[in-house]
Amino acid sequence: MEHWIYTLNLGGHAISINLDTIFTMWFAMAVVIIFGILATRNLSLVPGKLQAVSESIMKFFYGTLDTMVENDNRKHVPLVASLFLFIVTANLMGQLPLRIIHLKNGGELASPTNDINLTAAMAIIVLIYYVFMGIRAKGPKFFLHELSFTGIVMALVELLEMFTRPLSLAIRLFANIFAGEILVSIALGGLAYFLPLPIMLFEILVAFIQATVFMMLTIAYIGSATGEEH
Amino acid sequence: MVDTATISQMAHLGAGIAIGFGAVGAGLGIGFATKGLMDAVSRQPEVAGKAFGFFLLGAALSEACALYAFVIAFLLLDK
Repeated sequence: MEHWIYTLNLGGHAISINLDTIFTMWFAMAVVIIFGILATRNLSLVPGKLQAVSESIMKFFYGTLDTMVENDNRKHVPLVASLFLFIVTANLMGQLPLRIIHLKNGGELASPTNDINLTAAMAIIVLIYYVFMGIRAKGPKFFLHELSFTGIVMALVELLEMFTRPLSLAIRLFANIFAGEILVSIALGGLAYFLPLPIMLFEILVAFIQATVFMMLTIAYIGSATGEEH
Repeated sequence: MVDTATISQMAHLGAGIAIGFGAVGAGLGIGFATKGLMDAVSRQPEVAGKAFGFFLLGAALSEACALYAFVIAFLLLDK
């Protein structure tokens, strides 16, 4: 839970960087990229094992996008699929025995999503994406549907949602992973080797559920931003 | 004036109260979600697989409210 913080001095401003998050994030990105390269290397009409698995994963994204986004939904697949695959890989990395690698300054390697900076960055990417897509689909009507009292109140509520949606996205993912790690360490203090095991199996379930929730909410936000009515 | 030891004790008390009330809401939410799943499955047993997926999604969304309280409690523990 402790981070390995490196302080960068940039023109008089001290910028602290969580280096352990950066290393584990690169590792998760490398796993996703290598999986992508291996899955698309020898594509054939009769799929092999790896191609069948990756095709069923892609069918999952296509199916959810088809049901929740109305028009031109296939173009959102790159963002949604890479968010889901990265979050799943990152969450599952927390169950690897990475803590046996001792870092200096008391830091420890764990899942990169136990750092709120990473989840907040992903939530802001989602915010920018759906606002951009909404403006491209509806123009200025994205902000103000109709010039009436109800329309102005709705516009203000949606302006507030632009702040609360990324906040809840970021805190939900971060707090689930962080609470899981604290739960495992408390169970480790209670009865080592036996008590953490069921909790770690539960954390594997949580990793998939939280990645699905993040993806579903992203799709729902894109759908409500580009759809005809709210 | 209040000394720092008292502030620290009160912050720990507040952390306990925060996570307690947060857990009440999330427990109610997951309980209602389970009730809805049981109703749906007992009425139409063939939708069990699909309903369980939606149940997990809803349970994760209502569990997140307890985790917001957990974050607040964790911030209070540092005081």
